[in-house]
Amino acid sequence: MTRLFSYIIFFLLLIAAACSTSRQEEKLPILGERIVEGNDTIYHTIADFQFVDQDSNIVTQETFKDKIYVADFFFTSCRTICPIMKTQMLRVYDSIKSDPEVLLLSHTIDPEYDTVGLLHDYANRLGVSSDKWHFVTGNQEDIFNIAQTSYFATAMADNAEPDGFIHSGAFLLVDKERRIRGKYDGTKDEDVNRLLRDIARLKKEYAN
Amino acid sequence: MQIRRIVPPLLFIAAIILAACSGRNSDRSSDSPKFLQYYRQGEQLYVQHCSNCHQRNGTGLRQVYPPLANSDYMRGNRDEVICMIRYGNAEPLVVNGIQFVQPMPGIPSLTDLEIAQIVTYIYNSWDYEEGIIEVKDVSEVLSACEGREVVGNKKM
Repeated sequence: MTRLFSYIIFFLLLIAAACSTSRQEEKLPILGERIVEGNDTIYHTIADFQFVDQDSNIVTQETFKDKIYVADFFFTSCRTICPIMKTQMLRVYDSIKSDPEVLLLSHTIDPEYDTVGLLHDYANRLGVSSDKWHFVTGNQEDIFNIAQTSYFATAMADNAEPDGFIHSGAFLLVDKERRIRGKYDGTKDEDVNRLLRDIARLKKEYAN
Repeated sequence: MQIRRIVPPLLFIAAIILAACSGRNSDRSSDSPKFLQYYRQGEQLYVQHCSNCHQRNGTGLRQVYPPLANSDYMRGNRDEVICMIRYGNAEPLVVNGIQFVQPMPGIPSLTDLEIAQIVTYIYNSWDYEEGIIEVKDVSEVLSACEGREVVGNKKM
């Protein structure tokens, strides 16, 4: 009887060990097209960019050098999905605010209305720090363009929409090589839980 | 023998508690089919029209969107809340000592009944127990603010 019992425990431990090692070894996928040139694989990366954040600071790819970051697209006067996205992004913010390795980047898709001053007030009202969470504005075409071609996120003007824009509620996880490692629905609790786990997984890749 | 002696008083106490509870409910008329109909319709409308900003649980969003739950403004300004749902609000609003400036867009497409259902829902959720808010009362309030300009979602 006791012997049977110890066998069972042994097998359970074996299963647990197998699960935990396989989970550790599994890396996050690299999203987007890839080109294989000889022995090299060239992955899809985020293009160079230059925007202005809520403190009037210039924000470029250099701002995110050696950082993992989460990007999204929104606008402050949006009453559809953006407030939910911001509630969810605040969860991400709270979990990474003391982590020097991770930053957040929210692009407004309505730069005409969302000026630096307005974004400054918005970020203040969310109670978030500007060196951790950049709210950026800039040329609207540039923002639409980087959304569609770099982040695979939908963002465009659409007069049929109640607020004049159509955009996805996606959160994009970008690694230190500017590659997209995950796409999440920023309006869904469970999806953002997955993002939080994936940030931890991605950090482990760099810890080794 | 002893158990038999204890059971009747226990039953009596339980009956009193039950009576007390249902008595309170009937004061709020929260067991009436009409209340429940208003409340449930109101909940759906709230989720559809209000919860994006004010959130499903009524907490609002930090200092961007004001809370409905535990809000001194909600307690003291029911008529204004009713008008605001239809016409919106562009004025700064102080809620629990914090000033909010994001404009609230009005929803002119909502009928008097739908607004009555929404306010019945929000005034019987979280820490509010105001009972049904009838459509005739809402219509009266709305006629007082008739003709206001409907606020869009951007500051002018």
